[in-house]
Order: sequence, then structure tokens, then C-alpha cells
Amino acid sequence: MSRTSPWSSAELSRRDLMRLSWAGLVGASTFPWLEAMASQTVFPSDRKRACILLWMNGGPSQMDTFDLKPGHANGGTFKEINTSVSGVRISEHFPRIAKMAEHLAIIRSMSTKEGDHGRATYLLRNGYLPQPPVRYPTLGSLVAKELGNPAAELPNFVSISPFRAFSAAAFSPGFLGSQFAPLFVGEARGRNQNEDEYDLTVADLNAPKQVSEATVNARLGILNSLNDRFVGTHSGAPAVGYTTAYDRAVMLMRSKAAKAFDLDEESAEVRESYGKNRFGQGCLLARRLVERGVPFVEVTLGGLDGKTWDTHQDNFDVVRELSNILDPAWASLMSDLKSRGLLESTTIVWMGEFGRTPKINDNKGRDHYPNAWSTVLAGGGIRGGQVIGRTSPDGTTVEEHPVSVPDLLATVVRALGIDPMKQNVSNVGRPIRVVDPAAKPIAEILG
Amino acid sequence: MQFQRFWLFLAPWSRRLLTALMSAVCLCAPAVRGQTPQCSPPAAAEDAILDFAQLTAHIDGALASAWAQANVQPAAPAADAEFLRRVYLDLAGKIPSVTALQEFLANSEADKRARAVDDLLRKGAHAQHFANTWRGLMLAGAADSFETSSLIPQFETWLRLRFAVNTPYDRMVTELLNSPTEPPAPMARGRAVPSPSAFFQANEQKPEQLAASTTRIFLSVQVQCAQCHDHPFSHWTRREFWSMAAFFDRPAMMAVGVEASQPAKGGSSNAIVIPGTQIVVEPTFLDGSRPDWAGGSAKRDLLARWITQTDNPFFARSAVNRLWEHFLGRGFVHPVDDLDKANPPSHPELLDEMARQFALHHFDLNYLIRAITATRAYQLSSRAASAGEGDLTQFAHMPLRRMTADQLFASIVQATGFREGPRPTQRGALPDLTSAAAEFRQRFADQSVPRTEAETSILQALALMNGKLVSDATDLEKSDTLAAVAEAPFLSNHQRVEALFMTALSRKPAPEELTQLVEHVERGGVDRNPKKALADVFWALLNSAEFALNH
Repeated sequence: MSRTSPWSSAELSRRDLMRLSWAGLVGASTFPWLEAMASQTVFPSDRKRACILLWMNGGPSQMDTFDLKPGHANGGTFKEINTSVSGVRISEHFPRIAKMAEHLAIIRSMSTKEGDHGRATYLLRNGYLPQPPVRYPTLGSLVAKELGNPAAELPNFVSISPFRAFSAAAFSPGFLGSQFAPLFVGEARGRNQNEDEYDLTVADLNAPKQVSEATVNARLGILNSLNDRFVGTHSGAPAVGYTTAYDRAVMLMRSKAAKAFDLDEESAEVRESYGKNRFGQGCLLARRLVERGVPFVEVTLGGLDGKTWDTHQDNFDVVRELSNILDPAWASLMSDLKSRGLLESTTIVWMGEFGRTPKINDNKGRDHYPNAWSTVLAGGGIRGGQVIGRTSPDGTTVEEHPVSVPDLLATVVRALGIDPMKQNVSNVGRPIRVVDPAAKPIAEILG
Repeated sequence: MQFQRFWLFLAPWSRRLLTALMSAVCLCAPAVRGQTPQCSPPAAAEDAILDFAQLTAHIDGALASAWAQANVQPAAPAADAEFLRRVYLDLAGKIPSVTALQEFLANSEADKRARAVDDLLRKGAHAQHFANTWRGLMLAGAADSFETSSLIPQFETWLRLRFAVNTPYDRMVTELLNSPTEPPAPMARGRAVPSPSAFFQANEQKPEQLAASTTRIFLSVQVQCAQCHDHPFSHWTRREFWSMAAFFDRPAMMAVGVEASQPAKGGSSNAIVIPGTQIVVEPTFLDGSRPDWAGGSAKRDLLARWITQTDNPFFARSAVNRLWEHFLGRGFVHPVDDLDKANPPSHPELLDEMARQFALHHFDLNYLIRAITATRAYQLSSRAASAGEGDLTQFAHMPLRRMTADQLFASIVQATGFREGPRPTQRGALPDLTSAAAEFRQRFADQSVPRTEAETSILQALALMNGKLVSDATDLEKSDTLAAVAEAPFLSNHQRVEALFMTALSRKPAPEELTQLVEHVERGGVDRNPKKALADVFWALLNSAEFALNH
């Protein structure tokens, strides 16, 4: 992609650009200059890298997404379709992603040992098996620590629609401490949640309606003088941590950047293109956050609205339904990032906690299967348009290039420019590496 | 005599962990410690049994000489109000009511601090907070898991009933290790059935996890790394780890992808094979000794007896260290889970003596609590006196500690008079996630770092500033406390501000605070309405660092 452009970008307003980007969504390749211009206008070229994790809660079926076995008894009912990369074929329910396969590195040879939701979720998201008392941090916290700006108005890690019931520790900053904790949005509250309703705004970001802004300011004034007095006579990390969190929270309350959470700023067409559902709008929010410099955003699909990838029953109906949500959201996310020149600095990770049994059970379902399954990497730092590894014709075993969880995560952090062997001091006083030192980053993907 | 036995017991350990531990801190030959007077604890006689006041005096003496040696100036004593707030938070898990505070301040008896502690212990007012704290330790991570979180109430209930009647610590541990590995149904007639069986569920009933948790929690010895390889930082070998694990049985059915250990060929019926090897190991305690099978006792019972016997040097030390951290913010050994030679205690002789007295008092927890809360160190102010305040290892001032989610919630309830409306009865296994308490607990759950190193998250700050709990508490129409203070006709604005301080911060305002805030109230704030301005003051107090921290 060309980085030079004869166009002066100064006269273009942000809103103009958004509109142009929408044009870019449908025709970026028709107007290559648009892409180059966008990248120059909005972001400085030394912009840091970012990561978007598309977390597939419950364990998606590899045989019905990215590693189909048509013709085999284990294959099921879905058809394969061609993609933009010759020889790479994926599920028929990913028509839009298929057109962007040049960005995807599909790993068909994940090979792990955990078949329990809780432990596998922890393993994939934190990179280590649970080993109390060590509190391993989740991937987002590790990345936030390395790539985040401590003074940024927005938090450095946002987790959208998390499903934490399998393993809350897998969404925790662990020994890195809560300054690297994710800001959770869209977490279902209460029961009787209407399936069509989702709220992706920051909880309690604004004072209650009956409290005016002037009152908020007056209260904060009193609070500051109380805190100044206390902190002046009491030293210690808890006081500093407490007042810092308040400063950051107030900054967020007053920040224009918090407008990122206001999806009404996007046109109806854009919102529609991602899919008017929790995950689709979550991906749109992820794009808006990455645009504003947030280095790690994750969006969970499955769990909060009832449907999950944990398809012990009716695998094919549920996977089709979830695929229909995933495809437009992921494809719109990638093309939006691309038209903004952000795809090459934004690494996208698609994964769940394990795969599903090749053999179809009596309930037309598939059960937990960690032995041979798939994940996908895309975007920044990833050499796309390729498939890594191979499973046997019946899908039960990895025949080529087995990839472990540390291998996968080391590849991800490498793509983000982070040294996987870097050490952090843990809560038990021992240094612990960002990724298990046994990891071998996948050279073919990193190029 | 007791002491002699104590050291004799150490012999098998002496080439190993303890030797190194002792030599690291004493620089003298450990085997014949009785003959090396420079290493003896400063206690008067080796076999003296100290009552709790004597133990307090012993602790005070040991810390004072350490301060003198390190040339550290301890902080000023905590004022009565500061002490009472602290001891309520540490025992009852919440700030004191204004009534309790006023009675305490009005009391002029010399021993009123000890009596306050006594009162709380006698009433069992500490049982819930202790159950909550020790559950967090014994079922680490249970709240995170869908399967085990529903077992928390029965485990906490079991603990609460034990703490309430001051069950000796060794008996609690023995009961836990001997309990059935399958828990009872979570609820019966709407109540949690007390049971410690969740310990086995939290460890997935796996021998290796149970062995690691048991040694870590009750002995503060870390063996889990030896599960897969000889321990790189310590001395445990893989064989020793699995010999310890052999005290637990693997249930018949295990999850997918987990290598089950096969019945051992060439070993006894109690032996197991180290997974992935041909090595057969017999149940063996960590000190290398073998259980005496003659009595016909079950494996876990033999293990419990070995762990809790008075002579086990790690059992009492581990408990004393944890309790010291509970009250002082930091253990003599830090982190508390690691009594390794590479991690020597800050005050080795003091820890030894406290552990010895704890064992001599038949592991009486309230004895230790009375002694610790009466020490000068516990009753020092959190206002740091000198530049050396960053050093927490001297216990020369009380460090600031972040509250647990439950402490903070209970304190807000105490200060605001918040009452949760009736909740739908829970018949199934699922905990009620929609209650204000559950939502709050989720938002404030953070066990990631020691409470003295605590951080607060943005969402936590937003919840306190704008969330329903504090918003309602500072709304004149919804808050009992605020309305009562604002409406009472016999109170001046001075008294109103004072009352809010007592309610939230358990102290009277300083003169300059009083002046500033009364002025705000009298001007009426933004809306020129004194009652609303009073709400501003209450809001700021409830959001202050002083309210949210234990100090």
C-alpha cells in the first residue's frame, strides 16, 4: 500500500472522512488513494499497534467454520466455498470473510489438552493453566501494560459483552493489578434480558439525572480537598491507586473520547453493515476504540444472549446462526480498519477455548474437543492468505504442524511487537514471562 | 521438654528447608540451637507458656528492639476512634456504628480497647468476616468458576459456625481434610448446608491439586511446581510431590484429555504411579517420614494428623503468619504463602515464639487475635512519622489497606442504612447475581495483589460516584441516614456535618474541615439549598479515600 499521497488532508474534517470511509468500505480497491489518505489524516504514522480479540465463547466447531471435511461422515451438512485465496476454502456461511481471505492466517492444527470450559478458557486467555496462588493476567492486560498509554483518556483495555461465568480469572489483570483491568461494557445485568436489547455504554459513566453537572463539580471539589488532606498525611500505594482511579474516572466522564461509546455517531448504514446485534455493534465499538488509540479490545460472541458455541445439541442450526452474526461483523470490521489504514497495525485474533468433536453425537451436536481444532489470525503483523497445519481426513488428529496455546499467543504478541519472553514480577515474587517460555512463535505467520 | 521435642522433630528437615531457613536468618548452626544463645528467642524461658497479655508484651519487646536496631521511629499511637474503626474492619468486617463509636469514646476505662476486642469475639461478630476471608484463601478461585461458586455459601457457613465458637484451628483443618469429597446439595429449605467439601471440588478432586493446595494453605509450603519437574527454586523433587499427592485418591471418572494415574504395579494398595512414568510412589510426608498404617486410619486422616501435630514447624508458623498479615497488612514472611528458605521472615525469632505459643495454646485462634490486637504495632497510627514509611517490614506504622468487596459493601450499608428489598428465594444452585450485594461484589472483586499494594479500577470509582448504591444513599428522598440528619430540627449545621463524619469516617471533622463544609452547607451549594448541600458533603465523604481504605 502506498504511503504517499498528493492530497492535502488538512481541509478534510473528521466527519467528511467518515463519510468517505463509508465509500471506502464498498470501494477501497477502486480508490486506492482514499486508503492512503485516510491513514495519513487520522493517525500519525508512528501509531502504536493494537489488538482486537474476537472471543468465541463455548468453543466453536472447527469442522463447521474453518476446517470443513465435505464428503466425510464427520463433515456435517455445511458446504465449503472458495475464498479470495486460491485453494483456501471455508464455510459457506462466511461469504464476506471469504472475500478477505488474503488477510487471514488460518491455523487448523491447534492441539491442546484442556476439555473443561473453565480451565480451557483460562489457558487460552491467560496463556498458562490455573496454578493458584499465581494469578496469571489475561492477554488484554498484558498487552495493555506493554502498549498502553497510562495518561490516555480512554482505558487501555476494553472488554465488550464478556461472559465471565466459565472463568472470571480469565478476564482478570491478575498480578499486574487493576490499573490494567479491562473496562467491561455490555455485560448483561440481571435476568429477563431481552435478547434484542444490548447496552454497550460504560456503566455509571454519568451522574444520575437529578444531579446536575454543577453539583457534580461542587462535590468533586469537596472530595478533592478531603482526599488531599488524607493523602498528605497517609502515604502508601492504596491511597495513590484510589485517587488515581478517581482521576481517570473523572477524566473519562468529562472526556470527549468517551464519545467512542456513542454508536449513534455512526450512520445507520454503517451500523447495519456490522449487524444490529450485540456482537456486530460490539465490533463497531471495537473499531471506534482502536481508532482512538485503545491498544486492546475484545468482543465476545456467545453466552450473554443465550446462544453459545457450546453446541452439544443442534450444532448446525446454532453454528449457522452464530456464523450469520460473525460474518458481517468481522468483515465490516476488517474493511473499515483497512479503509482507515489501520488494518496493518491492528492484529485480529479469532479464537475460542477449544474445538468440537469431529463425530456428530445423537443430538446432532458436537462435544468438547481440544485435540485438533482451529483459530484464525489476521491483520497487523500477520502474513495472511495461508493455512497453517492440517488435520486428518476425519478431523480427529493433527497431521502437520501442531500448534500449542503458548505458540499461538507468542505469535500474537510478536505480531504486536511485544517480546513474549519479557518478564513481569508476579504476586508470588517470581518473574513470569509474558508467554510460557516453551512457546515457538509460528514463523510462517510472522513472515 | 516440649521445646526439645520440637527441635528433635526438626532433624529430618534440617538438611533441607528449615536448615537453610534458619541459617539464612541466624547464621548459626541450626542442629544444636539450644547451645547457641545468640539465636534464642528473647523469651524468658524456653518452655514458658505465655498468656495473651504476656505474648503481647513479648511481641512489643521484640519489635521495639528491632526498631532500635534499625533506628526506626515508630508512628504515634492510634487515637481511640482510629483504633475502633480499624478493629471493627478487621474483626467485624465493617465500620462501627455511630452508637458503638460514641460509647467507646465516652468510656474512660483503661482496658477499653481489649474489652472492645473481647466483646466482638464473644459475640462471634468476627465469624462472618473471618469466614469470608478464609474462604477466599481455602477456596482460591472458587468464585471464578461456574461449578464451584454455588458451593461457596455452604463452605462459608461451615467456617462461620467454627469461628463463632472458636474451634481450635487444628480441629478445623482436620475436619476439612476428612470431610466427604462430594458436597451436599447447595441449599436445603433455602439455607446453605454447612460443609467444607467444596475444598475438594475447588481442587477438582485431583490428588496433585489437593496436595499442592493443602501444603500451600496449611503449611505455606509451595510444592506445586514439582508436579511436572524437580522444583527449580526450591528443593522438592517430583517424586516427593507425588508421594504427598498419594494421600488423596483420584476419583474414578476424570475429564477428557487428562491422563489418569493407573493403579500401581509393585506397590501397596495406597501407592500411585507418577503420570507419564513407570515410577511407583508410596504415600510419604514431606519430611520423608511414612505414615503408620497400623492403626487402620484412612489416608487423609493420617495426613491431617501429620499436618496438625504440634511438632510440625510449618503448621503453626503458617497460621500465625497469616493472622499477622490479616491484622498488620503484611506477614513476617511475605508473600504469606511461601515459607521458603529463599524467602526468610522479617522477624524469625518472633514468628517462632508466636507459633510455639499458638501450639501450646492448642491452636486457639482467639488467643492469637487478642494478643495481636493488643500490640503496640497494631495500635500505631497509619500516619507515617518518618521518611522510612515505605518500609512495611518494620511494622512501625499501620499501612493503608484496601478493603475487600464485602468490607466495603458492609461499610456502605453501615454508613447509609441501605436495606436490600426482599429477594426472590433461591431454590436452585445458582447464587443470586442480581442483588445489590452480588453486583457490588462482582464490581469490586479483586484478589490480585496484597491489600497494601492495592489498586482501584475506573469502573469501581464510577460505581461509587454514580452507581445506584451511593446515589440513593445521597438522595434526600431515598436515604434514611441523610434524611434523618438533614431533617432533625434540634441539630445545627455544625452538628449535621459532624454527624455525617461520624457516620462515614468514624471521627469528628478537623476544625478546618468543619469550617469549609459548614460554609458549603450554609451557602446551600449550587442550588442554594442547605439540605442538598448536605447531600454533597455525604457524597464526598462516602467517596473519599479515607472511607474506602482501612487505615
